[in-house]
Amino acid sequence: MEDDYFSSDDDYQCSDQESMEDFEEPDFKLVTAKGPTTQVITKESLLVAQKEDLRKVMDMLSVREHHARTLLIYHRWDVEKLFSVYVDRGKAFLFAEAGVTVDEHRASDSSLSSSIMCDICMEDVPSDESTRMDCGHCFCNNCWTEHFIVKINEGQSKRIRCMAHKCNAICDEAVVRTLVSKKQPDMAEKFERFLLESYIEDNKRVKWCPSTPHCGNAIRIEDDQLCEVECSCGLQFCFSCLSEAHSPCSCLMWELWAKKCRDESETVNWMTVHTKPCPKCHKPVEKNGGCNLVSCICGQAFCWHCGGATGREHTWTSIANHSCGRYKEDQEKKSERAKRDLYRYMHYHNRYKAHTDSFKLESKLKETIQEKVAISEGKDSKVRDYSWVNNGLGRLFRSRRILSYSYAFAFYMFGDELFKDEMTEKEREIKQHLFEDQQQQLESNVERLSKILEEPFDQFADSKIMEIRMQVINASVIIDNLCQKMYECIENDLLGCLQLGTHSIAPYKSKGIERASELQVCWTNKANDTGGTEEVDRPSGSGSSDESGYPSRKRARKDDIGVGLFDLNLPAAEVVDRN
Amino acid sequence: MQASRARLFKEYKEVQREKAVDPDIQLVCDDSNIFKWTALIKGPSETPYEGGVFQLAFAVPEQYPLQPPQVRFLTKIFHPNVHFKTGEICLDILKNAWSPAWTLQSVCRAIIALMAHPEPDSPLNCDSGNLLRSGDVRGFQSMARMYTRLAAMPKKG
Ligand SMILES: [Zn+2]
Ligand SMILES: [Zn+2]
Ligand SMILES: [Zn+2]
Ligand SMILES: [Zn+2]
Ligand SMILES: [Zn+2]
Ligand SMILES: [Zn+2]
Ligand SMILES: [Zn+2]
Repeated sequence: MEDDYFSSDDDYQCSDQESMEDFEEPDFKLVTAKGPTTQVITKESLLVAQKEDLRKVMDMLSVREHHARTLLIYHRWDVEKLFSVYVDRGKAFLFAEAGVTVDEHRASDSSLSSSIMCDICMEDVPSDESTRMDCGHCFCNNCWTEHFIVKINEGQSKRIRCMAHKCNAICDEAVVRTLVSKKQPDMAEKFERFLLESYIEDNKRVKWCPSTPHCGNAIRIEDDQLCEVECSCGLQFCFSCLSEAHSPCSCLMWELWAKKCRDESETVNWMTVHTKPCPKCHKPVEKNGGCNLVSCICGQAFCWHCGGATGREHTWTSIANHSCGRYKEDQEKKSERAKRDLYRYMHYHNRYKAHTDSFKLESKLKETIQEKVAISEGKDSKVRDYSWVNNGLGRLFRSRRILSYSYAFAFYMFGDELFKDEMTEKEREIKQHLFEDQQQQLESNVERLSKILEEPFDQFADSKIMEIRMQVINASVIIDNLCQKMYECIENDLLGCLQLGTHSIAPYKSKGIERASELQVCWTNKANDTGGTEEVDRPSGSGSSDESGYPSRKRARKDDIGVGLFDLNLPAAEVVDRN
Repeated sequence: MQASRARLFKEYKEVQREKAVDPDIQLVCDDSNIFKWTALIKGPSETPYEGGVFQLAFAVPEQYPLQPPQVRFLTKIFHPNVHFKTGEICLDILKNAWSPAWTLQSVCRAIIALMAHPEPDSPLNCDSGNLLRSGDVRGFQSMARMYTRLAAMPKKG
């Protein structure tokens, strides 16, 4: 079904006048079949987010909340995994493994005597000043409290074990809370916060937004951890490595590339190829000309090959009283290689940089274009709708970024560093040609779109504007297709063929990186906040959605479109501040 | 701090009472500092440590018994889980498996058990661990016996 839907985008390529409305905003037709699958968890909604999961486990296993939490923390908040352990290994195993004891020992023998002997402080204490945990172990409240405080300070709030030897049971959070708050209220608060944040820290589907200064949010994803997300603070990032969104580079490639660009390693490389330290004053000296006798500004002459100080008498091939030549060949090979590598890096880096630079320039273009739109809209003209301008601009930004990252990708894909043994020389050559072909096509179309958008359309007559509009729309559609193809090629023909490497890239998002929707505090059902599009069915029995007056499908959809116009790097003010 | 002192005092009294019960362990508290203890333990029989007497030093933290005491061998011992130079001991109950229900006395018992059942997979003494892991039990035993004789037995004559 969805496939049919998608394959029809090729139809946009036609350009007959009357069906123009159809590809007016080609982007919206491509709205992914699922709504946003990522959600922002704010400080306020953190509690709600975890209540959902707690509730599921409590209902399913009929346990109390603190047991559900212990189980979930043990399974890193992976409800599905928890249930599968339950189904495969049974309840007893599930509980024992996580340190949950539900057999109630409480009432059993504490009533027998009015005092107990606490094994920790070795004192006799009245029964009502002692606490028996679910596991049956009983110690005095003083000792428990001290134990809890030590553990909270050690950062182990999430799994505070019973004090008894070899007892695996996790202490009841309610007991911890009560006892600790009696003695140190601030410590109890700390405990509470740790428990709450466990939902983020121990959860593979949730990560803190890496913004600095931190926006306070976390992002929860639905299923695919390999994706790029946008927080409500506007930061776009790669969910799996938390650095900036970098597809079509894989995380490792991006990490290497960013490091390479950051370090001066290349400069250092250059220095080793082209300079040598003077044996006297240790300043780097550049070799000029072919003669192997170099001299430093300090006056010292030395041999380029071995770096040793020499006299000044020399010919082209020999220096008086100096015959080294030992490392000559080796040295030359090494520097030859270093030079080649450096040139290769420069080739890719220049292009990468050219596109990031244009991207910065074009961000400024946005303002002037807005002005032009404002002027045009003010004119008495038949053309009313200028959304195509913004759509085109959005497309330009997105494809520009993809293009720049594609150079970093190519640097590693076709270089020796990562995949030397993955391809034969011949194979690599063919694949590189294939890829560069696509890259060049994309590049020329992106440049074309950039040119068209710079046209002073606010001074044009209607017919000319309609023509420009056609060009923008056509170029956008072509670019979209080329980007899609490039991602497919990378995924299937390039990375997909690797034997050893485990590189994969975030999927192509025609509309740009999806902004995470805010987790609504009063929503109880996930299916609701996804813009009403076909959401994965959740067998959680929450089918009867609780539509507590929250954005209807239509509104969510409309917002979607609104954001779609600018959705690159410029977050629309959609997120309600709930403070 | 008060709690640890009180508890150590209780243990002190317990030790006086238990002396006769466990002749293999002799725990002594430092005269001036209740947080410093030493122990003399007998090498378990049918091990290369048999016949030796080993001295342990205890440094008890203020958070005791919520946190474990630091224990090390003062007597040289050739054992995969004891650092040959420093005498540090690799034993789970002295680290993450510590429970406040342990006492200094029971720690000594655990150490005697460790002497009888080394764990060559978490060696602090690599040579000794390697000997055991490579299956050279005789090699290990003769080394261990030699050090017991040299360091843990009263000098003859
Ligand atoms: Zn107590
Ligand atoms: Zn217990
Ligand atoms: Zn953020
Ligand atoms: Zn990444
Ligand atoms: Zn010089
Ligand atoms: Zn010359
Ligand atoms: Zn030379």
